[in-house]
Amino acid sequence: MRLHIIPALMLLIALGCADRGQPSPKSHDRLVIAVVPKATTFDYWKSVHAGAAKAGKELGVEILWKGPLSESDREGQINVVQDFVTRRVSGICLAPLDSQALVGVVHEAKAEGIPTVLYDSGLESSADVVSSVATDNRAGGALAAQRLGEILGGKGRVIVLRYAPGSQSTEHRESGFLETMHTGFPAIEIVSDTEYAGATAESALDKSQQLLEKFGGQVDGIFTPCEHVTEGMLRALQERELAGKVKLVGFDASPRLERALLDKTLNGLVLQDPVRMGDLAVRTLVAHLKGQTVEPRISTGETLATPENLDTPHVKTLLHPEQLAE
Amino acid sequence: MTTRQAIGEVAGPLLGLAAVVAFFAASELGWGLYKGCVREGRSAQAVFSGYESRFCTAQNARTVLVQTATVAAASLGMTLLIVSGGIDLSAGTALSLSATVLAYVLKLGQPVGLALLACVLTGALAGAVNGALIRTLKVAPFVVTLGTMTFYLGLAKLIASETTVRPPLERIPDWLPALVAPRPRPTWLILPAGVWFVLGLTLVMEILLRRTVFGRHVVAVGSNETAAHLSGIHVGRFKVTVYALAGLLVGVAGVLQFARLSIGNPTSGLGLELRMIAAAVLGGASLRGGRGSMLGALLGAGIMSVIASGCTMIELRNPIQDMIIGVILIATVLLDHLRRARR
Repeated sequence: MRLHIIPALMLLIALGCADRGQPSPKSHDRLVIAVVPKATTFDYWKSVHAGAAKAGKELGVEILWKGPLSESDREGQINVVQDFVTRRVSGICLAPLDSQALVGVVHEAKAEGIPTVLYDSGLESSADVVSSVATDNRAGGALAAQRLGEILGGKGRVIVLRYAPGSQSTEHRESGFLETMHTGFPAIEIVSDTEYAGATAESALDKSQQLLEKFGGQVDGIFTPCEHVTEGMLRALQERELAGKVKLVGFDASPRLERALLDKTLNGLVLQDPVRMGDLAVRTLVAHLKGQTVEPRISTGETLATPENLDTPHVKTLLHPEQLAE
Repeated sequence: MTTRQAIGEVAGPLLGLAAVVAFFAASELGWGLYKGCVREGRSAQAVFSGYESRFCTAQNARTVLVQTATVAAASLGMTLLIVSGGIDLSAGTALSLSATVLAYVLKLGQPVGLALLACVLTGALAGAVNGALIRTLKVAPFVVTLGTMTFYLGLAKLIASETTVRPPLERIPDWLPALVAPRPRPTWLILPAGVWFVLGLTLVMEILLRRTVFGRHVVAVGSNETAAHLSGIHVGRFKVTVYALAGLLVGVAGVLQFARLSIGNPTSGLGLELRMIAAAVLGGASLRGGRGSMLGALLGAGIMSVIASGCTMIELRNPIQDMIIGVILIATVLLDHLRRARR
C-alpha cells in the first residue's frame, strides 16, 4: 500500500503540470530581459542595475533583476538562470560567478533559443554567447602599473597582492599590471606576486598585515586588484604608519578609498563603469534580438583616479555611480 | 510502524508541497493580471486569453526536480541520523569535500569510475569519522560535527590548494552533466536520470528504515538509547555504521553537485547542511529522534526548491525569498505539531 504513494505523487505532478510542448517565446511583443548579477548585496551591482534599468526604460523592454544569495553560490546562480529559461524570457544578461561552472547552463539556454550576453566576467567557452560586455581588465592593470611606475620614478621594490585564484577579471588585472611593469619599468623589482588576499575584508587585512610584517621597511609600492583588497592593504599600511610613504595603487571605488585619495594615502585608483556596463549589456542584447549584428567584445572603459584629478566631472561620476535600490 | 502510519507521516509534507505549488500558481496568475491590466492597460479578457503559466509546466517541474536532487540525496542521510537521535552539521562541507576529491582525481587524469568511487567513499569516510568520534569521545553529535565541519572545509581547501579544482571539460564525460540537465536525454525518460536515481534511492532508504531490522534499530536508538542498549543493540558500533551510511549519501550528493558545477569548490557546500536539516524537518522528522520519513525529506527538499523557483517566476526579490522559506519552515513544523496533538 505504501508504494502507491509514489505513483500517486507523480500523477499529481503530471496533472498539475501538463506538458504544453514548446511554449511560444513571448506572449506579446514586449521584450523581457533577465539581468543576473553575481550577488545582490554589493553597491557595485546596484550600479549595474541602475544602468540596466535605465536602458530598459529607454528601449521599452522589461528588466527582471535577480541574483544568487551570495557571491560564492555557484549552484544558486545556475538555478536562477535555469528558472529564467523556464520562464521563457527573451534573453539573459549574465555576470558569471565562475568561468567553468556556468558554461553548461548558458549552453542549455541557447538550446532553448534564449541568447545570453555576458557582462563583467567571462566564461571559458564563449561559443554560446552573443557578446561580452566588460572592463578591459588588462588595460586597467596596465594603467595602474603606469601610474605606480611614474610616481616611483621608475625604480624601487613593488608588491602585488592578488585577489583569489580562478577569478578571471582580477587575474587579468594582475597580469596586465605585471606585463607593463616588466616592459615599461625594468628597474622596478617585484618582490612578491604570489600571495592571495581571499574573498573577505578580514582575510585581505590579515594577508596585508602578514606581507608588511615580512617586507615592512623594504617596499616602495603596492598594487591591489580590487576594492576590499585595496581597503585591507590601506588599513594595514595605516596601522604601521606607512600610509603615504609606501605608494599604493588600487582598483574600484568606495567612500573610504575616495577619502584616502583626498589625503594622499592612496596614490591611484582604477575605476570601472558599472552603470555603463549594465546599460551596454542590455542594449547589446536588445540589438541582437532585433536582428542586428553586435561586436563579440565590448569594452566599457577604465579610468585612473588620482589625488590630482578628483574634481573632474568624469571621475566624480565614476566615484559616485548611480545606484538602484529596489 | 504500520503502513497507515507511514502514509500519515507523508501527508503533512505532501499537503505542504501542494500548498506552495498552489500559492505560486495563483500568485503568478494574479501578478500576470496585474501587469496586463493595470500596467499595460489591456482588458482582463485579453490578458486571460493570452495567458500562459510558466510555473505550471512540465519543463518547470523538471527544472525544480533537478535543483532539488543534490540536497534531497544528502537529506536522506540527514533524516537517518535525525531518526537515530543524531545530527550532522559537517554534511555540507563533507559534500563539497567529496566533490573536490572527485574533481581532483579527474584532474589527475584518472578514469571517471575511480573518481566517482573516490567521491562516494570520501563522503562515507567523513561520516564514519564523525561516528567514531561521537562513539569514543562520548560528546554530543552537535559539538563533534561542528568541529569536523570546519575540519572538512580546511581539508578540502588543502586538496584544492585554496582554489577551485577545474578538471579539463573534455575529461568530464557527457553523461555526467546530462544526469542533472533539465531536459532528459534520452527524452523517453520523462525526468532526468539523476532525478530517477534520487527517487529510487529514497524508496530504498524508506524500505530500509521501515521494513528491516537495521531500520527498527535506528528508530529504537533514536527513541530511547538506554532501552536500545538493554535490548541488546551495540549502540556505539551501530552509530558508526549509521553515520557512515549517512556519509555515503552525502558522497552521492557530492557526485550530483559536481555533475551540475563541473568544478570542485571547497566552499560550495557551506550552508547546505542547514537545508538538509530543514528538508528532514519539513518532511516530518523530529529533532528529538525516533521519528522521520525519507519520502517526507524528499518532499521537504522539494518545497524549498519550489519556493526558490516560484520567487523568480513571480519576481520576488531575494530578501523576501529568504524570509518566506523561514516562515514556511516554522509554519510547517507548527502545523505538524498541532495535527499530532489532536490525534
